[in-house]
Amino acid sequence: MEVNYEKLIKDLVFPLVVHPKDLLVKKFSEENDTLTFQVIVNEDDLGRVIGKNGRIANAIRTICYASASREGKRIKINIDSF
Amino acid sequence: MKRMKFEIKKLDDALEYASKQLRLQPKYIDIEVVEKKGLIIKSYIVEATVNVDPGEFGFEMLTTMFETMQIDASIEMKKRNGNEIRYDIQTNENAILIGKGGKTLEHIQYYIRNLINSFSDERKIVLVDIGGYKANRKKQLEIIATKTAKKVARSKIKAKLDPMNAYERRIIHTKLAEWRDVRTESEGQGKARKVVIIPTRK
Repeated sequence: MEVNYEKLIKDLVFPLVVHPKDLLVKKFSEENDTLTFQVIVNEDDLGRVIGKNGRIANAIRTICYASASREGKRIKINIDSF
Repeated sequence: MKRMKFEIKKLDDALEYASKQLRLQPKYIDIEVVEKKGLIIKSYIVEATVNVDPGEFGFEMLTTMFETMQIDASIEMKKRNGNEIRYDIQTNENAILIGKGGKTLEHIQYYIRNLINSFSDERKIVLVDIGGYKANRKKQLEIIATKTAKKVARSKIKAKLDPMNAYERRIIHTKLAEWRDVRTESEGQGKARKVVIIPTRK
């Protein structure tokens, strides 16, 4: 069974945000083996999710890359606020 | 436990205020009225307490993470000295979770450490190890340190080691701290920062 990346990303981002209702994780596109995900959070939470020098965002990305590499896939994660 | 006390006019706003101040979701916070003030203009002294145990939360996070990744993992949590939390993880996919040069492991640790410290009032030391990688790496680094130091002591020519992260450099510094023939320094910036072993006697 394929890994549910939306859930993986959502689980990782969820405890970091103060406004869970505004958290949205969606698969944006799927080309060949590259999956692109869009993460949208409340403006107040953006700093927390990205972290100092983007370190939290990078940690989340690395964890997802590792999971995807098992299935021979590549993952791109865009984090943005609305 | 992370907690705070504050005064507020409307009790309905207390949870929202505490959530903003503590930078946590309302569901992780318990509110308790400590004191009621005033007769005409009422106000409340409220205490807000974080209702999750940081260590347990980290454990749950790792468990669900591996479940979603469909990786079989057993996680052991150890607490030490009141402020140190260790997670020792064994999985059927250790190599992928450790990553090249331990990069993925480092990121997992960074994420979990950050998460735990957002729930905790004191700074917790959070360590994550997968399949004994760090323990093995430490042994390897100590061997490299001793070997290189011996060479430096004999030849009196300083030697540079490969670039390492802070934790790995620390292992080298600590290992060679008591050597009389050599001293250690770190040089370079960011990812290129490396340990230099320098002979003390000419």
